[in-house]
Amino acid sequence: MRVPVRRAAVMMAAVVALLLAVLLSLAVGARAIAPTTVLDALLHGGHSDSAEVVREMRVPRTAIGLMVGAALALAGTVLQGIARNPIADPGILGISQGASVGVVTAIAFAGVHTLTGYVWYAFVGAGLASVAVYAIAASGRGGASAVKLALGGAAINALLVSVTTAILTTKASALDEFRFWQVGSLSGRDSEIVGQIWPFLLVGLVLVLAVARGLDALALGEDVAKGLGQNVATVRIVGGLGATVLTGVGVAAAGPIAFIGLAVPHIARAVVGSDHRWVLPMAAVLGPVMLLASDVVGRVVFPPSEVPAGVMTALIGVPFLVALVRRKAVAA
Amino acid sequence: MSSVPCAPRRIRPIRPVGYAVVRVGRAAFLLHRRAALVALGLGVLLAASCLAYLCVGESYVQPVEALKVVLGQPSADELVVGTLREPRMVVGLLVGAAFGVAGGLIQTVARNPLASPDIIGISHGASALTVGAMTFGVTSYAVLPYLSVIGGIAAAALVYVFAWRGGLHAARFVLIGIGFAIALRSVTTLFMTKGDYLVAQQAQIWMTGSLNGRGWAEADPLALTLLVLLPCVFWAARAQRSVALDDDTATALGVRLGRVRLGLVLLGVVLASVATSAAGPVDFVALLAPQIARRMTRTAQIPLLCSALMGALIVVLADLLARRLFSPTELPVGVLTAAVGAPYLIWLIVRSRSVRNGGTS
Repeated sequence: MRVPVRRAAVMMAAVVALLLAVLLSLAVGARAIAPTTVLDALLHGGHSDSAEVVREMRVPRTAIGLMVGAALALAGTVLQGIARNPIADPGILGISQGASVGVVTAIAFAGVHTLTGYVWYAFVGAGLASVAVYAIAASGRGGASAVKLALGGAAINALLVSVTTAILTTKASALDEFRFWQVGSLSGRDSEIVGQIWPFLLVGLVLVLAVARGLDALALGEDVAKGLGQNVATVRIVGGLGATVLTGVGVAAAGPIAFIGLAVPHIARAVVGSDHRWVLPMAAVLGPVMLLASDVVGRVVFPPSEVPAGVMTALIGVPFLVALVRRKAVAA
Repeated sequence: MSSVPCAPRRIRPIRPVGYAVVRVGRAAFLLHRRAALVALGLGVLLAASCLAYLCVGESYVQPVEALKVVLGQPSADELVVGTLREPRMVVGLLVGAAFGVAGGLIQTVARNPLASPDIIGISHGASALTVGAMTFGVTSYAVLPYLSVIGGIAAAALVYVFAWRGGLHAARFVLIGIGFAIALRSVTTLFMTKGDYLVAQQAQIWMTGSLNGRGWAEADPLALTLLVLLPCVFWAARAQRSVALDDDTATALGVRLGRVRLGLVLLGVVLASVATSAAGPVDFVALLAPQIARRMTRTAQIPLLCSALMGALIVVLADLLARRLFSPTELPVGVLTAAVGAPYLIWLIVRSRSVRNGGTS
């Protein structure tokens, strides 16, 4: 029982980090609020300005950050597992862009302007994009290598960006709504979003956890997984479905936020090993830590304006990707 | 090198199969017969497309009238052809040619068709700095092209530095380039939220690559810049051959491979950035043009002249379609080139043979 104890300890540390990130997210901003005041506002109510700011603006923002961070990190973990590929990430693979096209279609053509309305469009877009990229990368000789996945993603990204632009150019009215959404940010999102995304998050979570064992088997290779009695196709389909739902809901709620899905699974594996029953919960805890931290940093670097979380994660993510690619020859 | 007492004698080259020797006075150079034919064919096709470009539009103009305008003779269609369509077409031609050559050079050095400026982040670097400047109120075309070039070179330098690890592995280079491209795109989007609505719309259209509203104000500096760079392109066309040699042979022949490569890449980046500054990152032209040209000429090297013609042809035809497809709304030309280019890239990936290098050839 030595190993589980160590893992449990690491998990505790991660949860503490998460609590810290949540506290920072509630306390830091244009108006810095002391942690004690934050706790006081949460526990005892009160109608001071600070208490109102915390409850009306920062609590929903933090809650969205928690959910989206967890969703994207889980989606990345599963994608890396089913593609057996270290650089799989919803952003790089064009899945987020697929969800974006879904959302812009909803705004421009279907007249849908609410999250519960366009989340379905986001699912469809994300699903089509993920199937397309995987099909492209897996066909031809050599299977879905890192470079082929990344390039397939780049191609699909470019194609989808051009579709988005074509829509936005012909429907100028959609641009103003879309451009703020597109950047990927936690600010200015409706507080109702929290209540709207949790069912989707739950569905995605169940799907993803259901394939944890299958992903472990798959990590040993397709043949071994089959030999162990795993139905590889089912694992891929259920896992892919889970990743699509999680990406779709994350993108619909906060816009395309890059690199969380790339970086977090690697960090999670580094601390708890390769067992997906540990990696997945760890990613679900660390994802929000990274997103909330990015969001908090974005609020304070260029006051009084904010740098959206999506830009911060991209800027933090690039050095990470560089390190990952340089460290060892990513099986190309 | 200069300390070597007797420099190796210049070896008289043997004329390769498929080449003709052309003598102009005392100078003689090799001409690839098939490449020359392809260039001729592309030239004719390009001329026809240009004429169609001038004639077709909101109002149809007789080809004779269009030719009159181009030749500077009085015509009733002076306004439509001479003021609206002609300058825009010239920008398209120049931009396409520049992207074609830029893509060819970078693909040659990287020995990989996927290392085109729009995939490894060069265009995104140019975009990021340009859109940033636009949101801060810089709209002068006297400044923006320089910013584009600086942005492009900076992005290329970053990718190069970070991908270098005792050598330049193609897969690592492409992966890191894609990463930077994503990050730079998000920076560009950030700038777009800062500006007001009109600037955002302008930037959005520019970012996809559009010739809409382009005129002599963009064409003149662009033509001038490309004219200045022309001698460099001639040098590049010759130098390209030495880059194809393997390192040992090149060193034995006294070619400073490192410098030549750097020169070629630098020229490619400058050309791509200049073109980006004029029309925005018109996706995939730099990827497509050299590859199609090489397949047509069946040469080992990417033929630069044919790449330039092919690039110009792609942009002019794509813009013609972009103007007419959803008229009266005009699409940015980049939408059209992406719609053609992305499937081509997908096809490249699917049929790639040497997966290990992430390359195809």
